[in-house]
Amino acid sequence: MDEVKEVSLEMRDYIVSSGADTLSLCMQCGLCTNLCPYRLVTGEVSEAFNIRKMQRLGQLGLEGFEEENILFACVTCGMCLVNCPREVEIINNVRSMRNTTVAAGFLPGGLRPIAGSLHANGNPWAGEQEKRAKWQDGLDIPAFSEETEYLLYVCCTSCYDTRSQKIAKSVVKLLKQAGVSFGVLTSDEVCCGESIRKLGDEELFTKLAQSNIQLFNSKGVKKIITTSPHCLFSFKKDYPELGGNFEAVHYTELLGDLLKEGKLSIPGELAKKVAFHDPCYLGRHNEVYDAPRELLQAVPGAELLELGRTKNKSLCCGGGGGRVWAEVPFGERFGELRITDAVDKKADILVTACPYCITMLDDACSGLEKGDVLEVMELSEFLCAASQPKV
Amino acid sequence: MDKKTGVYICTGCGIGESLDIESLSKVATKESKVPVCKTHSFYCGAEGAAQIKSDIENEGVNTVVIAACSSRVNYDVFEYGPSILLERTNLREQITWCHPANDEDTQMMAEDSLRMSLAKAKHIQLPESFVGENMVKTILVVGGGLSGITAALESAKAGYKSVLVEKSPVLGGWMNSLYKQAPFKAPYDVPEEVDIEERIKELEAHPDVTVYVGAEIKEIAGAPGMFDVTISQDGKTITERIGSVVLATGAVPYDATKLENLGYGKYENVITGQKMEELAKKGKIVRPDGKEVQSIAFIQCAGSRDPQHLPYCSTECCVESLKQATYLKEQNPEAAVYVFYKDIRTPGQYERLYKRVQKDGGIFVRGEISVITEDDEKNLIIQAIDVLTGATITTEGVDMVVLATGMVPTTALGESMVVQADPAEGTKKEETPAVEEILRSNLLNLAYRQGPEMPTLKYGFADSHFICFPYETRRTGIYAAGSVRMPMDAVSSIEDATGAAMKAIQCTELSANGSAVHPRVGDLSFPDFAMSRCTQCKRCTVECPFGAINEDDKFNPLPNPTRCRRCGICMGACPERIISFKNYAVPMIGNMIKAIEVPDEDEEKPRIVIFACENDAYPALDMAGINHLKYNAWVRVIPVRCLGSMNIVWIADTMSQGIDGVLLLGCKHGDDYQCHFIQGSELAETRLAKVAETLNRLDLDSDRVRMEQISITDYDKIPAILDGFAARLEELGPNPYKGF
Repeated sequence: MDEVKEVSLEMRDYIVSSGADTLSLCMQCGLCTNLCPYRLVTGEVSEAFNIRKMQRLGQLGLEGFEEENILFACVTCGMCLVNCPREVEIINNVRSMRNTTVAAGFLPGGLRPIAGSLHANGNPWAGEQEKRAKWQDGLDIPAFSEETEYLLYVCCTSCYDTRSQKIAKSVVKLLKQAGVSFGVLTSDEVCCGESIRKLGDEELFTKLAQSNIQLFNSKGVKKIITTSPHCLFSFKKDYPELGGNFEAVHYTELLGDLLKEGKLSIPGELAKKVAFHDPCYLGRHNEVYDAPRELLQAVPGAELLELGRTKNKSLCCGGGGGRVWAEVPFGERFGELRITDAVDKKADILVTACPYCITMLDDACSGLEKGDVLEVMELSEFLCAASQPKV
Repeated sequence: MDKKTGVYICTGCGIGESLDIESLSKVATKESKVPVCKTHSFYCGAEGAAQIKSDIENEGVNTVVIAACSSRVNYDVFEYGPSILLERTNLREQITWCHPANDEDTQMMAEDSLRMSLAKAKHIQLPESFVGENMVKTILVVGGGLSGITAALESAKAGYKSVLVEKSPVLGGWMNSLYKQAPFKAPYDVPEEVDIEERIKELEAHPDVTVYVGAEIKEIAGAPGMFDVTISQDGKTITERIGSVVLATGAVPYDATKLENLGYGKYENVITGQKMEELAKKGKIVRPDGKEVQSIAFIQCAGSRDPQHLPYCSTECCVESLKQATYLKEQNPEAAVYVFYKDIRTPGQYERLYKRVQKDGGIFVRGEISVITEDDEKNLIIQAIDVLTGATITTEGVDMVVLATGMVPTTALGESMVVQADPAEGTKKEETPAVEEILRSNLLNLAYRQGPEMPTLKYGFADSHFICFPYETRRTGIYAAGSVRMPMDAVSSIEDATGAAMKAIQCTELSANGSAVHPRVGDLSFPDFAMSRCTQCKRCTVECPFGAINEDDKFNPLPNPTRCRRCGICMGACPERIISFKNYAVPMIGNMIKAIEVPDEDEEKPRIVIFACENDAYPALDMAGINHLKYNAWVRVIPVRCLGSMNIVWIADTMSQGIDGVLLLGCKHGDDYQCHFIQGSELAETRLAKVAETLNRLDLDSDRVRMEQISITDYDKIPAILDGFAARLEELGPNPYKGF
């Protein structure tokens, strides 16, 4: 006979107390597992990870969910979450289950340097705090003050990663072009903490969030523009739990509104076929679908294509939930499916609006050697390319 | 009565374009010499309808033959009251819509069809309705639980006196044993206070309700409208005259002593759901050893959906356990609740109760129990296979295990008695149809030749026809309601009892008018027995699916017209052919068969008679026509009330007429039978087994008679069935009796 596993109500209650309030509502229908992007790829993680079963193990407090390939597999794309017939907060459950081991000091080896850097530098990329605002050199960006309406909060990735810095710079140009009143506090900010919270390190998240909340409050910040939809999620959904109440928008939402109001226009022309990849955190998690499309279509000559899975059915790039730091073997990456889809649709450019998506899709595009037929661009870069072709 | 026949041939709906109406009219005027024969292009229109009406009123036409569409449509237009004989010839659906226009064979079909109608019209008489003596409309309700109380009260509220008999000294039944009842009202996630007391008060206060508690039914004799019921109470005997009966004796929990595999009887802290209600009613839920219950495991389907115990689902056990889980949570929100289940079944709004228990942290385990053991402190450890992780799991020790046992209808209890006919001479045992089982459950004590209680379907439920008319039982005028009919919850029992009360009321009203109840509502005919020729063979008493016929001590049949459903199965059963209806009889069909013109052998026009059940096969033939499906023009359709009314002599009549084959189209039989009269088509098939002999005696191949089961939805199979049979007959060659 197989080994008999003991049900542990103590373990179950511990998971629930870490934030898995809806764990017991799961009726195990398995819709989550079928909708999970892991079903589209092969490999060890795909074989080990079954989100339905993971919930079940949690419900009974059974051993077996701690294995790295299971516990840290979820990309938090939210596909299961928005379709769950019982409205189980599946991602919260994942986060809580991760927390049971992470809080005890068992973060997987590959993630320890990330947590270490967040502790020491306030960002996951091992960048020095004093260099956080270095990308702004020569851009003439005002500091946030009582005279400025918005705080522009730039994702750590776009502060330190050279490729990603281009996003930050493009967003700044567009905001200026549209006459938005904004300023920055970049050199004093730390990571929003979205990803580390998803990884289950509640303590570290709290430390980062409190630091930002204190900074924002001390400067009188009310409204925030984010470059990354992950930061947006954190400010909108995580920070209020810690008393941080700010009105956060993604830059695409703001620019979309300004476009409609006639305060933003894209003068140049870019006759390209453009596919839009909905980032999970902009789409499913924040329900912004129309603004980026309207911005794309505002570019004279640009032809918008829809990918096979789009809007609330969008396929994850694979970079959420801390997976942006995971080593995924070539051939098992979700981003590759996305690139193939765009190439099959004969798109010239695949546009998205998230620094993680850019990282993942760039990787996939070069891995598949499709760089000659498909270009991956962030929406702000695309808009700048159209209005100021020289950038 | 002196008949004056009027034939009205409609030429609308394409009939006039397909047929030679003049030749067709000659069938009536020249062959049958009917005094009135008219045509019109729109008989169901105002002008056409007025023409017929005028002939009835002014010309003295009292027998109307309408050659137009199927009798299944426009029945409201062509309705002339009880003093006019009406026959419908189906030219449209079964002839012109499925056969080529202006074709010799189509024309012959139409002419034969009219000939058969005229033969029938010539034979039939107006039914004289039966009126019994001292007929009453009082409703007897047997059983004083929630269903019984509801049925009695609803009958009384509708203006009918009701009499309720309850075995135990108090009313309320199962509901009395509950601490709380599963929710009847929104938000459906909180158990409610049991409200049976209020219902009892309302019942007892109603002036038209007579209640006998601590009483039993000693005997029910008679028939609908005139049942004589003997009730015994405290040694006294009371009699009541009753119109119809609602059987609401409910169900009892499955005997848990048979569930030792789940620890019942072995461990003292393994209890039943019934016991759990008792504990909760007392206040704190504690074990016999005084320990307060902090953790509990419910075992669902304890004995249910298990071929060794109760093979069916009782629908309510999941809800009851969920409700009981809230008892414990109410006592102690930290209490641990496990529910082990096969499938959680929380129909309708009960899903909310399920969600609530889930939300409160209930642990639901789908899978099989491997073993239950007890530790030193009498806590129970449950080992089970958790289907959802694929692992064998074991619980921490729980304080108590509750077995959710299913419902056993009270009709399923008691000594079994099998009603069987004495096998007729020369009949092999397997040729007799399936017999019904009756259990001596001491509920109704019917003074019926067929046995004292209700015949039951699968698992002992007193159901009759789940698909088409669930309230009907196999005893006319007795309607089962609540958990005696099928497992159900309290809310459904209230609905069910209300429905049964309505059926019971309908029955008293129809019986008082001498009319049949469902499915031949309005039929005033009833069987006549030409007793001088009866041989006391008992086939009619045994084969009547409704137990309508009693016997005297010399085995003479004693018919009870108000118990009769007018299916004619007795007529088909009688070897002496002494049973007939005024408007349906063995010679009537015989004359219809004789009316068919059979062409000579060299004309190569075979003929096939179809006896089609009016309830399913005939509509299926109509549906084939409506869909313009094509089939051969050799067939001649004779509708029958039920295939069970087919008398074997019709086959001999058909064959000796030179007709090449007989096709019987009847309902599906077996466990999921579709027959409106329970086993009519099955009986026909049994009788058919004997036909082979007759055919051999006549030197005919037994393949010339075929039976097919068909339902209305099978209409698309009609062409294949009819043409397949015609092809087989072609192989056999023409009937050698042609021309004799």
